[in-house]
Amino acid sequence: MIDVLIAQVANLRDAAPAQGLTQDSVVLGEQFYFFTVILMWLIHAGFMSYETGIARKKNALATAMKNILTIAVVTPSFYYFGWWIYNCNQPGLPIGPNSTDFTAAACQGGIPWSDAFGPNLGNNINLIFFLAFLLFSWTTASIMSGAIIERARLTAYLVLAVILGSAVWILDAAWGWSAGGWLTLRFGFHDSIASGVVHGVAGAFTLGVLFNLGPRIGKYTREGLARQFRPHNLHMTLLGLMLIFTGFYAFYGACLVISSTAFPGWANIYLSPTTLGSITMVITMGFAGGFTGGYFASRGDPFWTVSGGLAGVISVSAGADIYAPTLAYLLAIASAAIAVYAGNWIEKSMRVDDAVGAVAVHGVMGFLGILWVGVFAAGYPTGVNNVDSSIGGQLIGMATFLPLGFLSGWVASFIMKALGILRVPPEVELMGLDVAEYEPNLYLPEVAVVTEQLVEPDGTPVDAAVVLQTARDEVVV
Amino acid sequence: MPGIINSAPDCITHAEGGEKYAKDGADFILQANYQDCAGIMTFGPGSTYGEDGSGADTLYMILTWLGIVVMLVVLVAWVLYENRRLVTAALGFGADESPAGGPPPQPGGVGDSR
Repeated sequence: MIDVLIAQVANLRDAAPAQGLTQDSVVLGEQFYFFTVILMWLIHAGFMSYETGIARKKNALATAMKNILTIAVVTPSFYYFGWWIYNCNQPGLPIGPNSTDFTAAACQGGIPWSDAFGPNLGNNINLIFFLAFLLFSWTTASIMSGAIIERARLTAYLVLAVILGSAVWILDAAWGWSAGGWLTLRFGFHDSIASGVVHGVAGAFTLGVLFNLGPRIGKYTREGLARQFRPHNLHMTLLGLMLIFTGFYAFYGACLVISSTAFPGWANIYLSPTTLGSITMVITMGFAGGFTGGYFASRGDPFWTVSGGLAGVISVSAGADIYAPTLAYLLAIASAAIAVYAGNWIEKSMRVDDAVGAVAVHGVMGFLGILWVGVFAAGYPTGVNNVDSSIGGQLIGMATFLPLGFLSGWVASFIMKALGILRVPPEVELMGLDVAEYEPNLYLPEVAVVTEQLVEPDGTPVDAAVVLQTARDEVVV
Repeated sequence: MPGIINSAPDCITHAEGGEKYAKDGADFILQANYQDCAGIMTFGPGSTYGEDGSGADTLYMILTWLGIVVMLVVLVAWVLYENRRLVTAALGFGADESPAGGPPPQPGGVGDSR
């Protein structure tokens, strides 16, 4: 009797229609990306805390508001333009929905008035997949935001965030971070979790902006030596980084394509097979190695130790789907140490005032991560054409992304500088952005007045007021 | 729903006796009710199984472009508004005491009514 029942159950199971399995898979995928979207909000809570803690107290509210308002501008612009850029530019030139190119179907889903881009009972995936990419866009814009704090205008940042978050990064993603991208199909370019596509390009864009924005008043002495502004709450900064790290796991997961009806169930963005466990292991070893490298390279500096974790992860992201855990650990140690030295070099030798080290941590590490794939994963077949990854292919990607990011940031900020809408007036910078932008006396609890200090290049803490006023009088901003 | 609280536009239809409980029942109901409203309605073109691209109905496209225009206008207005605010603040600070005479006022600073 039992044998009969078992046989009947087996028959029913075998008779389950493939269509039902496919529907389950689609709904599973929809849920997966939905939860990554929720968790990726933590990245933005983290960026807000991270940057606000670094800022001086007189700029704390303006810094936090800038992060929050990223969502207000990048969301609609990415909806109206960004998804079209991604889906319709993968061959290198814009294509139309009626093109014979195999990406034409995806292009159709990127048009804001498409059936697939609204409530549609026949399409569970396009909107939720778009939303995961939207969260990537917020992240990309936020990478720039910390570097320019305490002197950039809110609206200057918002305009730059739209350009970076809804156009520049998503164009390079179309080229090198998609199944139909010309860099992937022709050169085997491999950047599976977006080392260069997100972080590298955002860092290059930021560097271009910083060249036009200039340093904060008083950042450098007359001799060009760097002073240090004291973060008003380093604990908040470290908490922010921990929130970013938590959200990064969702970021990593959302970079995969879920295909639960076919073994092994996951593919990277190029549709090459991988597993969720593989990338999760690499990101965790990347953090471990990054903290270690950052600690020793900075001799225990808390900011650079924790930033080292971020640097380590970014440096192994490009090959996170294929690296051995130990390789990720070792690469992250070495890369985080390089990030510390790069950050100091950018600040002290290039005299670029990057308030959070974004160019070093995201830009340098992003491009280094691309290069590591060419060195340590050469020969790995990438994408639907199974083109071998190689140093040559990775260098072509770098040679494409670096000017794309840097020049777009430099040109956009140059135009805004010429229009006088890039930087706050020096009087406002000295008084603090909060006073001019948000009248903080209305919103913040009373606190005791603390004299602002900064640290001279020789390590001496001094009263900031006289130094800043002198610097403001001497330097043409 | 009859009466004064019915805010549905005239294009809404209420098809009765259709295959309400068919496999794609929910979709059928939406199609049946909104099929004459394709365009500006929330569940207009996107609610159907129609050919991709059929959503580019004139009204729906106008609605989309309206959103794009609003987005751009907001961004420009935001730049102009902040510029005016910053210039006003800078003029106020310039006419006030010099920061060199003391520390810059801290957010929430006691005794500073600036």
